[in-house]
Amino acid sequence: MSYRLPLTLSCLLSVALLPVAVHAQDMIVDTTERKQPLTTWGIQFEEFEYRYSDDDEELAAWNADFFYGTDDFKVRWLTKGEYAIEEQAYEELENQLVGQVPISKFFDAKAGVRFDTPEGPDRTYAVLGVAGLAPQWFEIDANLYVSNEGETSAELDAEYELLLTNYWIVAATLDATVAFSEDREIGVGKGLVSTETGVRLSYDLIDRAFSPYVGVVHERKYGDTADLAETGGGSTEDWFAVIGARIAF
Amino acid sequence: MNIRLGAVLFGLLMPALGLAAEYDLTVDRVQIDSGDFVKEGIGYNGASPGPVMRFKEGEEVKINVTNNLDETTSIHWHGLILPFDQDGVPGISFPGIKPGETFTYEFPIQQAGTFWFHSHSGFQEPDGAYGAIVIEPEGREPFRYDREYVVQLTDKHPHSGDRIMRNLKMMPDYYNREQQTVGEFFSDASKDGLMNTIQSRMAWGDMRMMQADVEDLQGFTGLINGKGPEQNWTGLFEPGERIRLRFINSSAMTYFDIRIPGLDMTVVQADGNNVQPVSVDEFRIGVAESYDVIVRPKDEQAYTIFAESMGRSGYARATLAPEQGMEAAVPQLREPARLTMADMGGMPGMDHGSMAGMDHASMEGMDHSNMEGMDHSNMKGMDHSGMKGMDHGSMAMNQGAASDPFYAKGSGLMPKAANGGKFLSYSDLKAQDPLYEEREPTREIELRLTGNMERYTWSINGVKYEDADPIRLKYGERVRFKFVNETMMTHPMHLHGMWSILDVGAGQWNPIKHTVSVNPGTTVYVETEVDAPGQWAFHCHLSYHAAAGMFRKVIIEGGPDSNQAKAEVVTEEGGEA
Amino acid sequence: MKATKLFVASIVFSMSATAFAAGAHDGGHGHSSASGEPGKASEASRTITVEMYDNYYEPESINVKPGETVRFVVGNKGNLVHEFNIGTPGMHEAHQAEMMMMVEHGVIQGGKLHHDMMNMDMGNGHSMKHDDPNSVLLEPGQSQEVVWKFSDKGNIEFACNVPGHYQAGMYGDVNFE
Repeated sequence: MSYRLPLTLSCLLSVALLPVAVHAQDMIVDTTERKQPLTTWGIQFEEFEYRYSDDDEELAAWNADFFYGTDDFKVRWLTKGEYAIEEQAYEELENQLVGQVPISKFFDAKAGVRFDTPEGPDRTYAVLGVAGLAPQWFEIDANLYVSNEGETSAELDAEYELLLTNYWIVAATLDATVAFSEDREIGVGKGLVSTETGVRLSYDLIDRAFSPYVGVVHERKYGDTADLAETGGGSTEDWFAVIGARIAF
Repeated sequence: MNIRLGAVLFGLLMPALGLAAEYDLTVDRVQIDSGDFVKEGIGYNGASPGPVMRFKEGEEVKINVTNNLDETTSIHWHGLILPFDQDGVPGISFPGIKPGETFTYEFPIQQAGTFWFHSHSGFQEPDGAYGAIVIEPEGREPFRYDREYVVQLTDKHPHSGDRIMRNLKMMPDYYNREQQTVGEFFSDASKDGLMNTIQSRMAWGDMRMMQADVEDLQGFTGLINGKGPEQNWTGLFEPGERIRLRFINSSAMTYFDIRIPGLDMTVVQADGNNVQPVSVDEFRIGVAESYDVIVRPKDEQAYTIFAESMGRSGYARATLAPEQGMEAAVPQLREPARLTMADMGGMPGMDHGSMAGMDHASMEGMDHSNMEGMDHSNMKGMDHSGMKGMDHGSMAMNQGAASDPFYAKGSGLMPKAANGGKFLSYSDLKAQDPLYEEREPTREIELRLTGNMERYTWSINGVKYEDADPIRLKYGERVRFKFVNETMMTHPMHLHGMWSILDVGAGQWNPIKHTVSVNPGTTVYVETEVDAPGQWAFHCHLSYHAAAGMFRKVIIEGGPDSNQAKAEVVTEEGGEA
Repeated sequence: MKATKLFVASIVFSMSATAFAAGAHDGGHGHSSASGEPGKASEASRTITVEMYDNYYEPESINVKPGETVRFVVGNKGNLVHEFNIGTPGMHEAHQAEMMMMVEHGVIQGGKLHHDMMNMDMGNGHSMKHDDPNSVLLEPGQSQEVVWKFSDKGNIEFACNVPGHYQAGMYGDVNFE
C-alpha cells in the first residue's frame, strides 16, 4: 500500500482527524481492581484487660476479632479467653472460625466452628448465629451452639455505647449463656448458665486504634451451674475491677 | 498506523505554528507537610499539588507522563472535553500507566477556563496526586481583572487513602468526632424540652442513623495550594485591583463553605464555564467543583480566605494581602451541622407527612417568616403582569432568606452566610454562553443514589459498580438524568467527557457543569448532549464512595462517523484501578 | 397634603424601586448630579459609539473636556440585558441595589426586559421604570442615545449596574483632559 495517499490526507486533515482517528481505539473491558469486590480486613480487641476480683484473683482477659473478606462474605476468627495469672491456667479459652454473610440491612448471619480448650476437657461446637445493629444502637451477637457431644446452648452478647464526649465513651456489655442440656464435665447445668456484665469507661487516645479503659465486670452463675460450681469449690459470683484497652487496627 | 505516521509528521510542525505545546509530568513519591503533620504522599514533578498546567484554547497538547511509583498510575483531566482514550481512567479509557512507563497524552484543547487534573488510580488523589489546569481563552473573557490566583483546596489527612477506606469499612463512624453526646442531649433538652429531645433521639435511633452523619472524614488539615492554615498561603494585591480567584475543590470528601470577611465575591465561572455574574458573600464548593470569583479589595489590609467544612469539623485558610507576612483575623468554626428529618426524605418507606413536623429538637431558631419565600427560579412562565400591588412583607427573596431549592425544605445543611448576607445557590447560576441549543430530551434515565452507611457500601440504583452493567447511551441523543438521593449524604456526581446541564429552571440559560452536587432527600435533573463517542466513567466524586461502589461505566453507542468510531469491545490486560 | 407628598415622591424617586433600598445615595437621583446634566443634542461636540457586550464595553475608556457635551450611541451587542449609566462610583453602587430589586421582581431576566412589570406599583407611588437621562437599559440588539453634558472634573465612570456586571468589570473610565 502506497504511503502517498494517507500522508497527504493526514497532512491536510490531521487536526480534524486526529481525535477521530484515535477513536478507532478499542473500548476495553474493566479488569482493574475497581471492578473486583472490595476486600477489607481488620483486627479488633473489644477487651484486652487485667482483672482483679474481690477474691484477690488476678486474671488476664481478652475478646478479639479478626476478619477478612468482602461485603458479601467475610471470614472471622473470634478469640476469647480468661487466663488465671497465679494458677497459670486458662479458665476460659474459646476460638471460633466462622463465615459471615449479610442477611438484612443491619444484620449478618454466621456459621462455623468453635473450639474450647481451657483447663479441663476440650469441646468442639458447631456455631450458627446472627450479628448486627439493633434499633436504638444496641450491638447484638446471638449464637446457637451444638457440641460434639450433642449438647446445645445459646449465647447472647449485647453492647451499648454512651458518648460522654466524642472521646470519653462508656460501654455497657452483657453476655448471657443458656444451656438446653447439661454438660456436667465442664460444669454446665441446664437453663440459664451465666451472665457477664461490664461497664467500661474508655478514652480514645489514638484515633479508634488504642483506647485505654477502666471498668467493672460482674460474673455470675445460675441454677444448676451455680450448684455445680459450689460443689467444685469455686465461686458463683465475682466482681472484678478491670483495666485494659480497646484496640482496633 | 499510516494515518498515525502522517499525524506524527504534522504534529512535529505544529509547535512551530504555535498550535501545539508539549509538557512533561513525572509522578513521584513526595513528602507533604501540612503544618500539622508531615506525611509521605504522591505528587507531580516532585510536589503536591502538582504544577498549574497552563494551556491555550485551540492548541494541541502533548503531555508525557512518567510513572516513578512502584504501582500503576493515571491522570484524568477533570472537566476537559477530549477523545475518550485520553481521559485517563484505567479500565475504561486505557490500561493505566505502569511503573517506569511514560505515557503520552495527546488531545486538542476545545475550551477555556479553570479545571484540574488528578490520578484516577487507587487512592493516589487523596494521597496528593492533583493539580490545576488554567486554559487561556482564544477570545476575550466576559469579565476583567488585574491579576489572578489559583486557590486549590484539599482535605489532607494523616492517614493514607487505603487506610481510611479500611477504617471506614470496619467502623463507618471511625472519623466522626462530632457525634451527639450526653452533653448535647441535655442542652437540646433544655432548649427543646425533655420529651421532644427523647422523641427525637429515639426516632433517629430507630432508623439507626445519626444526625451527625455529615462528614465521613474528619481530622483532616485543610490545605490551600498545598499550605495548611499555619503555613498561610498568601496572594498579594494592590488596593483597588480586581483579582480573579480560581477556586478548585480537590478534596477527597469535604465540601467547603468559602467566604472572605470584608470582601464581596462576584462569581463569574462555575466548573470552567462562564456564568452570568452574581455577587455573593459566601458559597459552598462541592468536591471536584470549581468557582471563579472576582474580588476587589480596596483597603491596604489583609483579608482571610476562610474555607469552613460543611460539617464544621475543619477548615482551610489563606490570605490576600498587600504584603507577605500580613494576616487577618481567622473566624471561629461554627456549630457542627446536624441533619434533620427533612434530609431523610429520600429514604424509601419514609412517610414525610408525619415526619416533617416531628423533629422539633432540630428546629433550632428557625425563622418561619422566611419559609414561605417565593422562589422565582422555579416558577416557570409565571404571569407577573397580573400582579398588582405586591405585598413586600411576604416576599422573603432578598439576602438573608435561607431557602435554597436545591436542599430539602428544612434541611440541616441549608447554607447560611456567616454574615447574614447572600449565599450562592445553584439556582443563581445561569450560563453566560450556552453551549447547546435547548431541545426536548430524548429520554429520561433515573439514577437513585443509594447506600448503606453501616456497611459503608455506596451504589447507584442499589447496585455497586462491581455488579453493574454499563449505562448505554446513543450518540446524538439528549439524556435527562434524574438523580434521586435516597441517602442522607450529599453526593457530587461527575460524568466524564460530556457536559452536565443542570436544570435550575432557566431554560436555555441552565448552567453547564461537570460535577453536580445532589443533597440528601432531593431530586436533581441534569441533561447531557451525548456528543462524545467511546466509554466514560460516571461516579460520585467522594473518593471513598466511588471506591465502595458508587460508580458506573457509560458506553456511547455510535459516533459521528459510524465506520471509524465503531467500538470493538476487546478484553485487555488491566492493571490496578 | 398626601397628594403633594406623592407628587414630590414621584418626581424625586421616579427611578428608584424602593426608597429604603437606595443605601448610599451619592448626589441622589434626578436630572442633575455630580457627573453632569442632560445635554442638548444640538450642542454635542461629537458622537461616541459605545458597544455593549457580555460583559464589557467597547471602548473601555473615553476622554472628555470639562463642560463638553457628548452624544453617545449605545448598542447592545451581547445576549444579556445591559445598562449604560454615567455617574460616580457611589451613584453606581446605589443604583446596583435598585437594579438587584428589578432582577428579583423579574423585570430583568437574562436577555429580556419585562416592560410591563416596570409599571408595577411598588407602593408609595414608586415604580421600576428605568427612565433617567443619564442611562439606558437595553435588550440584546437594541440601540439608544444618551446626550450628556459633563460637568467639571470628577471621578466619573460609565457602568452597567445589572447585578454582578460592574463587579465583573463592565465599566469604563471617563478621563478628563
